[in-house]
Amino acid sequence: MNLYNRMHFCYKDIQTAQLLQKVRDMATIVAGIGVPHTPAFAANVTAGDPDDETAVAYARIAEQLDAVDADIVVMFSTDHLNTFFLDNYPALSVGVATQTSGPNDGTPGLRHVELPVCRDLAESIRIDTTIADFDVSQTQEFTLDHSWLVPLQFIRPAADLAIVPIFVNSHIPPIPTARRALSLGRTVGATIASWPEDARVAVLGSGSFSLDVGGHYIEPQKIFGVPAPEWVGQVARFLEAGDHESLVANASRAQMAAAGNVGGELLNWIAMLGAIGGGAPTTLDIHTQFGHGYGFWRLA
Amino acid sequence: MSTYQVAKFCRSCLMNSDVRDLAIEAPEAALDLFDLTAEERELLLAGEVGELSLLGCNDFLLSYLPRWNLFGLDVPLYSERMRAVASRTVPNRHLTDELGTQAD
Repeated sequence: MNLYNRMHFCYKDIQTAQLLQKVRDMATIVAGIGVPHTPAFAANVTAGDPDDETAVAYARIAEQLDAVDADIVVMFSTDHLNTFFLDNYPALSVGVATQTSGPNDGTPGLRHVELPVCRDLAESIRIDTTIADFDVSQTQEFTLDHSWLVPLQFIRPAADLAIVPIFVNSHIPPIPTARRALSLGRTVGATIASWPEDARVAVLGSGSFSLDVGGHYIEPQKIFGVPAPEWVGQVARFLEAGDHESLVANASRAQMAAAGNVGGELLNWIAMLGAIGGGAPTTLDIHTQFGHGYGFWRLA
Repeated sequence: MSTYQVAKFCRSCLMNSDVRDLAIEAPEAALDLFDLTAEERELLLAGEVGELSLLGCNDFLLSYLPRWNLFGLDVPLYSERMRAVASRTVPNRHLTDELGTQAD
């Protein structure tokens, strides 16, 4: 497919792309995944009980990912000021490269890995999102922090799946709106569905629903806190019902801020839901005490 | 430039072992590497992370400091000082204005 046609596709909605997919060899979105990326997980699980609830929850996701036989994982996550910094911190960015590595933040328990990046799909996403009026930056030489490597280590220890990293600012106010994240996800989903490669693509959103790290809502004697467990329950109910419109309607920036200084990471889940077209999850494990959950949407 | 240099210092402690080691062994010399205001420097040396957060310093980055017990901080003291200022935070207009409280 030439560039003109590919750019033309960005104006199509996902339904049109899905119709075209029936007559051409195009990529298929086979799963949506939502997981946390708490940096302590890696060391805790390595040192601890294999029946640890984190290990069990991630194993359940890994098993389902193996079952859909994905070739590529498109990831929405948030850089914690490690890949980028405050001198030039993008609201949205796509990693357009052939490979990356990490972790770049010395997360204990995470081994160094080199990861393939699907440059062609990344470039398609960069082009389509820009034409769809998202001001998306690109980075062509980058490393990744725990927010990418923690999920990948658990769901794909072999580190053999190509990824496409899409960076969403969910930490530095003002963060994008939930509506914007959903729209971004929809555009990315349409791009994947019209990408002219016979590839099976999983879409992953990573982050917490309520978590404060080092901020004003941390617990006594601790460096973190979960200030809005009731919000976690509300998010869980919306997810369980497949009601992402209500999730977006309730996920105001004030609500996400009240959920802690990384509460905006919910945007990564919302973008994932936009990409896969929503729906009720195949499995959903909510760990309210930690402010996060593990969800899997099997689509093929 | 205010607060940005504090952020740079905190991040450098994570990313640059030379800066981190200097901060452990000679905190004042480590702070000399950054263009801090007198107030920021004084607050850092006193470990007053709560007051720094009220100035606008990034709390996520400040939370690195107790990893290496910089400026006398450990996790319990860090938590105590950050929590102590919670009631004095000024609402961020980007989060509390009309657009920020409604789905948009």
